[in-house]
Amino acid sequence: MSALNIGGSQLDTSWFLLLSAVLFVLGSIGVLVRRNPLVILISIELMLNSANLALVAFSRQLLNMEGQLFALMSMTVAAAEAVVGLAILVDIFRVRDAEDIDDLSELRG
Amino acid sequence: MALAVFFVAAALAVLGGIGVVAFHQPIRSVLSLVVVMLALSVIFLLLSAQFVFAVQIIVYAGAVMVLFLFVIALLGPARELGRGRLRFQTWLSALFLLVLLGLMWSLLQGVQYRQPDKADLSFFGTVQSVGAGLFTTYLYPFELTSILLLVAAIGAIYLSRKRIDDL
Repeated sequence: MSALNIGGSQLDTSWFLLLSAVLFVLGSIGVLVRRNPLVILISIELMLNSANLALVAFSRQLLNMEGQLFALMSMTVAAAEAVVGLAILVDIFRVRDAEDIDDLSELRG
Repeated sequence: MALAVFFVAAALAVLGGIGVVAFHQPIRSVLSLVVVMLALSVIFLLLSAQFVFAVQIIVYAGAVMVLFLFVIALLGPARELGRGRLRFQTWLSALFLLVLLGLMWSLLQGVQYRQPDKADLSFFGTVQSVGAGLFTTYLYPFELTSILLLVAAIGAIYLSRKRIDDL
């Protein structure tokens, strides 16, 4: 256990990491359970955000800027991923309705 | 004070995350994700990551989420789906992910973190320190992300172009 002194209060680094774990699990529930491809992309964004929270929490604990810099990089990657994923979805929806991710299984080997 | 801010923001983030998974209409999921991102930006501020806080609000909650809203508005409302093809998928995934959460929680018990040598919070997380890191030590990764953004932009334009036979 290690407490961070933030604005006079003692906050534990583990709390931030636990919040990050909860958000990651919620995101993976979304990926596994939901069937709308858009909602799956949204859940992936949630998982990336929870990873950012863990990076920034460790950065604060170790007082090392590298975690924050990596969080910025991962935001860039998330933006690129969202752009390409949404473009693919729009391209698929132009041809036909794909409201169930199970309909998009032609590439299966 | 910071304790109360943390718990309110964490509760909002978890509620928003549940909303992302539970709402049936994609537009509500996106708005829940905006709630999560704003709550997380408050937590970034608590962790004295000022620049990441600003980027989170402007780029993430601003730009990326508006992109999602545009696409949802373009594609129209989703219809209600029937049952999935895989039986027990919901319950099995919930079970395994609860086990995963329990594993991560048990890993966090009794962790000893290394204490930093210095504690100069006046400079930590400011735009100066972020810029100093990005333009000296991490210059090459920074430039590589710009190439990644260029590739993503070109790919999105290529994917959403008008086909010749559509004309």
